[in-house]
Amino acid sequence: MVRDIIGLVLIGLGMFMILTAIVGVFKFRYVLNRMHASALCDTLGLLLVIAGLIVILGINAQSLKMMLITVFMWLASPVMSHLIARAEVMTHAHIKDECEEINQCQSK
Amino acid sequence: MASKKHSRFIDWVNGDTAEKVHEYKFIQKTVPPHSEQAHDEVISTRKARLFNISYEISAVLVCVILVAVLLFTVFNLPLFGSAGNPASNEVAERYLEKGLEETGAVNAVAGMILDYRAFDTFGESSVLFIAVGCVMILLMRDKNNISATEDSLEENERLIEIETNDPILQKIVLLIVPCIFLFGIYVILNGHLSPGGGFSGGAIMGAGLILFAVSFGIDAMQSFFSIKTFKAITTTALMCYATLKAYSFFMGANGLETGIPLGTPGAILSSGLILVLDICVGLIVACTMYGFYSLFARGDI
Repeated sequence: MVRDIIGLVLIGLGMFMILTAIVGVFKFRYVLNRMHASALCDTLGLLLVIAGLIVILGINAQSLKMMLITVFMWLASPVMSHLIARAEVMTHAHIKDECEEINQCQSK
Repeated sequence: MASKKHSRFIDWVNGDTAEKVHEYKFIQKTVPPHSEQAHDEVISTRKARLFNISYEISAVLVCVILVAVLLFTVFNLPLFGSAGNPASNEVAERYLEKGLEETGAVNAVAGMILDYRAFDTFGESSVLFIAVGCVMILLMRDKNNISATEDSLEENERLIEIETNDPILQKIVLLIVPCIFLFGIYVILNGHLSPGGGFSGGAIMGAGLILFAVSFGIDAMQSFFSIKTFKAITTTALMCYATLKAYSFFMGANGLETGIPLGTPGAILSSGLILVLDICVGLIVACTMYGFYSLFARGDI
């Protein structure tokens, strides 16, 4: 009973994170801002939802698989964001208008 | 004083391990294209024009005949929900009751698609093979269909690709690709015990190949998977499937005697020929997936 409540609270928090990410994706207009918002969804949102499910299910084979899902998503999703951001910086002609820090990065 | 190992670690933390990339000069060479006169002469002759017209007419005829045959078949199908339907006869019951002892597959779906309906699966594998063959005919880069200018453009693109290879992506891919392959092999080998099988496992392995090719470039890929390996694996797997199953087509549904016991839940070597067929299908699907990606991306495998 207590476990169910803790799990539901965690899943609710995760859902809230995903909702925040969706609002951010639709609110911002520039690619890098939208990526920053959507990163919440597949890192913290995913972690909280899966943690809630693990708390409800207890430790068994299923929860191990869910932990593996988290591990692989956490490995893959930042790399994907990095590649999208890199493509944007390399192909955007007027990147300095959008992002002031970029000059610093490139001069290094 | 820090040992060599520690200084390497410090370098790694500071992000200095990435080797300095050689600078490439991207010079656009203007090379005259291959001559196209010979091609024009062939088209302008009268015979070729006649051939073109008859080709179009026969194409339309074939399409119309095919549409007519298919529509005729559709109108002769049994009505939806009638008692005489093939769906409600004794076949499904027999598959579920006798499937384990007749095919040896614990997973009834695998028993159906690779034993009772093996001919259908053979057709699907052949469709994949023919599709990749057609894409090769159309998109394979060749001296005859690519001009020298396009060639130098492609070479430039390849150099840019090498220079912009991403160390972060490569490190993560080296971590993830073995896991993807392991999972794909697991799905293929467990096709007769649990949901999965050749098609899904092959698709997973193909995705792993594509990921590796994207992050390391075609040169690294060709060091272990060239067009020769591609052709060898696809044709061997398809021929292997055809020989194994053709035997039972001609021998009245009696399979080859393999000595592999039938239907033990949990044991990988327990399903007669289904495991071998699953591996064949998986190899074909993996190679085809990667072949499609590679041919569409750069016209080469």
